[in-house]
Order: sequence, then structure tokens, then C-alpha cells
Amino acid sequence: MAASSAAGCSTSSNANDDIPTYEYIDINTKPFHVATFENLWKQTLNPKYYSIRDVHQETDEEFAEDIGIPTGTVEELKVICNPDTLRCHPENQPPDTDVVPADPGLMTLRMRKRRQDYRETLIRAQTCRQDLYAAELENLAIGKKPVDPEDLLPEGEIILSVNVLFPVITERFKHFKARQNLQVLGSQKLTDLRDAICCLSDLQVCGEFSDTPDMAPEFISKDLFKSAFLFLEGIFYNDMRYPECKDLSQTVREWAESHDMPTFQTAKMEETTFRDLKLKVGYPYLYCHQGDCEHVVLITDIRLAHRDDCLDLKLYPLLTYKHRMISRRCAVCNLYISRWMTTNDSFAPTDPCLFCDICFRMLHYDPEGKKLGDFQAFPYVDPGAFN
Amino acid sequence: MDYFIEPVKSDCEDILSRFQRTESVRYEEFAAIWRKMDFPSIFYGKMAANEMRAFSRLILTTAYPYLLPPYNFQIRVGGLYLLYGLYYTQLVAPKEKITIALKDWENIMKFQQDAMNSRHYDVCYIFRKLISEKAFYFAAMPKHLYFHVKRKPKRQEVCEEFRDRPARVKELITTETLEEIMNVQEHYEKVKAAVSTTPGQPDPAVNLINKHLGPMVQSTVMEYQNWLDEVAVRKNESGDAAAAADPGEGTSTQGDSSRRAELLASIKSKSYGHLVEASKSRRHRQVELDTSGPEIKQESTRKTIPCLQTRTMKNLISKGKVKEEVMECTRHWRLSVTEQDKSLKRRVKKRFKY
Repeated sequence: MAASSAAGCSTSSNANDDIPTYEYIDINTKPFHVATFENLWKQTLNPKYYSIRDVHQETDEEFAEDIGIPTGTVEELKVICNPDTLRCHPENQPPDTDVVPADPGLMTLRMRKRRQDYRETLIRAQTCRQDLYAAELENLAIGKKPVDPEDLLPEGEIILSVNVLFPVITERFKHFKARQNLQVLGSQKLTDLRDAICCLSDLQVCGEFSDTPDMAPEFISKDLFKSAFLFLEGIFYNDMRYPECKDLSQTVREWAESHDMPTFQTAKMEETTFRDLKLKVGYPYLYCHQGDCEHVVLITDIRLAHRDDCLDLKLYPLLTYKHRMISRRCAVCNLYISRWMTTNDSFAPTDPCLFCDICFRMLHYDPEGKKLGDFQAFPYVDPGAFN
Repeated sequence: MDYFIEPVKSDCEDILSRFQRTESVRYEEFAAIWRKMDFPSIFYGKMAANEMRAFSRLILTTAYPYLLPPYNFQIRVGGLYLLYGLYYTQLVAPKEKITIALKDWENIMKFQQDAMNSRHYDVCYIFRKLISEKAFYFAAMPKHLYFHVKRKPKRQEVCEEFRDRPARVKELITTETLEEIMNVQEHYEKVKAAVSTTPGQPDPAVNLINKHLGPMVQSTVMEYQNWLDEVAVRKNESGDAAAAADPGEGTSTQGDSSRRAELLASIKSKSYGHLVEASKSRRHRQVELDTSGPEIKQESTRKTIPCLQTRTMKNLISKGKVKEEVMECTRHWRLSVTEQDKSLKRRVKKRFKY
């Protein structure tokens, strides 16, 4: 389609355009074609350099042969350049790495010492729980090998790091940027990324269910409204996997046309892989679903896969960071996470009021499931649903 | 984590400038400095769960630019050793990798080739070791980009002392530009001949440009280049001589004057370097400081508005409704606290300032 033709013309153009360079320094790059970029790396590199299966270590003989010096000299070099020469303490007395040495000469250490001394004066010094979870998540994936060897990552695969920001909906989002970091493979479809983005608005249930509380889970927005689009470098990628999907970008395009703006192209999300894209690293793009739930999406990095990465094909798109949110608990038991919100409720202390599923049913229905009293009940999706 | 960029950078520059002073590219020299500075301790200290990894990442990305131009060969060698050291001494497992951008790869390869040609085998060995250990990520850009647009973008500061003296003349006059000049000259002569009254001969009245402009420029550039080379050689010699004997006894020859010119140039470049370091806004501010006193108050661009309580108090005091001493007295926050009991003061929340 339009996207593939755009990609096609870029591959035929000068290859130097696809070497990523800064458009604005430290902010974003100029647009480049991902597959061409990948090929450029592969052309310049010896496949041994980035191989993920290869456990072969270069021997001294190979090195000597390459450079053209006798093996004896290499032996000498090996002794001189041994990483042990970097050690600053006796071999059998490793220092305590938690302690900053007294009177450090390095600026970094001085600053860290100051910070550490300050933290010791605090009554309780906690590390941020977000950091704890992030570290846990990071350690989960590092160096993970697949159980089934068929799921091993293909040689020379590229990994894109994607940063998905969440729309500012509530007051609570004001002070931090809730975000989610993912790693996707170059061979994956855009729809794989779309399915991996966990947004609350996909789980919302519309409507009032006080008469039939058991029916509520059947009306999740994700199943009702399946359309979505990604907007990258002037092209709308629409999700058209299901017959009921609509072209959400149509309104925008029509508006643009009526305002003398350049016309935008469209393409199908399920037919485009990340390799086919032409994009800018670090540039904000848009992901829109549920009609108006808009996320800023950034591709922060593209690189060749490494031996220490998660090597299980099935785990991609891989979640590397997810902001954890505070859950709201039931007003009755204060134990379980809320599932229902009621208004005009004579049983509730506040209006609106939150209940967990058990308390809600115990309070508002008799054992036969008959509604007691007059109230309105709406399913409530907790912001911590994806924690 | 961003607070650490400045100190990390200054530490890296410190070790590299010490390495520069040795005027050598040997790894032993670097390792000696490394051990003397106790550089691995840069990773020490209590850190939060993922702080260590983030810090390793940060220090590797900060040290990476020293491997690239515009720095001179020696600093780049130092940069490579520094990366090697940091990579092997970091405390996280698996180790954090060094990210190489595609646009820099060609430079790095050229650098390695240079090292090989001039038989710096330790440089080659260390580079090959890092590669065979798979210490590199082959990426699009040297760091992750998050579109952090700053109100005041930070200037890319290149440490001037680590650079080679730029060869501007060489850059300006290349063989192509010389050819261009000759062509233009030829064309000009032809046009002159065409418009003159005596056909085939240029008008003797129109004689504004030297006929041999091209060769003249070339010879001048060559002369300048030779002089530069000579100076460099002499500098090396004098450096050796200084090491051997006292360099006090100099006859006033042409060498002296050139040495003097060189000294002047170095002073100039040094002072220029300092100027570059001070940012534009600060320079402006310095001038202000000299001329007028009261304007200093406008220094802070963003005013912090005091809280409502403070503002009300200020208002009341300025209007004379309440006296300051009264305010002092009413500060007690518990009715049970007596005036003598000073220990029970309201706890001030402390915040760490970087």
C-alpha cells in the first residue's frame, strides 16, 4: 500500500540517508528506514561480533595472525592488558562496595557520599517502590533462554525500545509521567505492539448494571470497539483485523483536507512490520484507540540483539518498565480492590462510593440475587488493574 | 540520575588529562593512573535496586564520546582504555554494554586501523578483547532518546585541551579549490581579452589581479605548512632537550621568535578556552556585575512565589497591623508547649540538594 511504496522509495535512495544522525542534538534523529539501517550494520560488521549463539572466544593465535605479530608478543600483551591490572585492592581482600571510601578524590563519589550522609539522617529512608519493581522486571528478562530451542531469536534480529506514555486523565498524573517501556522485534507487526499496550480504557465497561450485575463483564470496550491507529511519520496505520473495525483516522484526514493541509497516507497496521517503517528515533508519535484515548509513543532506541538480551521469541513484545499505580480499595472491607461504583445509594456513606465485588453483592442484593433498594451501579476499573 | 552527569564528566576528564600529561599511549601508564586514582571506587556506595545499572549505563555513555573525534589520537586511546576499565569494573551482572552508533563505527574502525599501522598493539588488543567479549551494542544512537526538550538547551561542550590544533588553512585550500581558482582566473583572462579593444590581447589598463594567483596561493600554503611542521619538530626536540638539560641558554635566533609566537598562541588558545567554558548568559552577567549593582537582583529568571501564609504575614507586617515580635510569639503550635521548651520545635522537612 501507500506505506510500502514510501518505504520502497527510501531503499532505492542514497544509503547514507539511512545512517541515523541527529536532527536536534540529544533530542531526536532524522527519519531513516529501519531495514536499511539494519542492513548497513550487518554489512559493516563481522557476523561474529553480534552473533547470539556464538560462544567462541577469540584465541590469541587468531589475533596474532590477524595483526601479523608473533604469538609471544600476544602473550606479553595479554599479561599487560589483563583486566586484573584495573584492580585497586589486593586480590583476596575485596572492599565493601556499599561503603564510599572516606575522603574520596572523585567528584562523583563526593556527591554520592553527600547524598548518602543525608539519607542517614532521615528517620526512614525508603527506596522508591517504582524502582524496586522496575529492577525486578529488568532482572526477569535479562539473559533469558527459551525452553524450546525453536523459539530462539533469529540471528541478527533488531530490537526496538518503545516508550508509551499514558494520557493525562486525572489530577494524579500531574507530577509524573506514567509510562510503559516495551521492547519489540523488527520482524513483529505493529499490531503486536498494539496488543501489548495495556491501557485502562480498553477495560472500561459502559452502562448501568444494577439490575443485572452478572452481565457486566460481557461488555468490555476492548471487544466492542476494536479500531485503533498509530500515526508515524505522516502515515496512519489503521488496525483493520476485524470486520467491525473502522478507520479512526478518517475524521482527522478529512479535517486536514478541508484546511489545506497536505494529505496523509494510510496503511494497515497488521500488514506492516517495524522493519518496513521509516521513522525518527526519539520523536513523539501518536497511538489512538477507543476513539479518543491518545498515547504518545516514542521509539527510543534501535539496536541489534545481543547475547545477554532475552532470547525467547515468544516473550516479545517484552515489558521492561511499567508504572505502578495506587489501587482504590472497597469502602466496606478496605481489603479488596474496588470493582463497583454506586450513585444515589442509600446504603453507601458517600456518593459515589466504591465497593469490591463481594461486599457489593452482600450489601445490595438478597441471597436470591434480587436488587434491594434504589441505586445505580457502574462497573469500576481500578487504575492498578495492570500492576 | 541526571545529576551525576556533571561530576562523572569531570572525573573522566580528570583521568584523561592526567593521561595526556604522560604523553604516551601505553596501557601501563593508563593503568597506573587508574590505580592511583582508585577509579573503580566510582561504582561504590549504597544504591537503590536499579540505580546501579542506570549509573553504569550513564557512565558508559558519558565516557563514550572520548573515543571519537574531534579529540586527538591520544585522548581517544585514553577513552578506549577508560571504557575498557569501566566495563570490567562495573558491579552489575550481566555487565551493562557500551552503545556504539552506526555513524561512529566508521570512525572507530579508522581509529583502530591507525593504531594498527602505528603498531600500538595494546590498543588493538583491548579493542579486540572488548569485541570478542561482546561488550558492545550496535545501535542507532549512542543513547536512548526521549525527546527531552529543554528550555535552555545545553551546549555540547568539547574539552578544548583534548583537541588537535585545527588545520584551518589546510581545510580551506585544497587541491580542488586551487583548481577552481585557476579555472576562474583563466576564464577571467579570456573575458578580458574578449572585451578589450585590441583583439586577442587583454587591455593593459585592466590589470587588477596577479596573473599567477593560483601558484602563488599554493606556494604560500606550502610554505606555511612547512613552517608548522618545522615548529612541531622543534617543539619535540626542545621537549627532549628540556628533559635532558636545563633549557635556559638560548641564543636569539629565528627559533626563539617562533617559540615565542607559539607561546603566545598557546596563551591565546588557553584564554580562549576559558571563554568558551563560560556560557553566554554568564558572560553577560559578569559584565552586568561590573557595571551596575542593583541589576543583580534580576538574576533569577524564575521567581518563586512565597506561600499564602508568608504573603499574608508580610502584608500584615508592612501595613503595621501586627508587629514582628507578636508574630514570633504566636508561632507555637501546641498550646501545651512552654516558652522554655525549645526542643519541641516543629520539625523542618529536609530536602537533599544536589
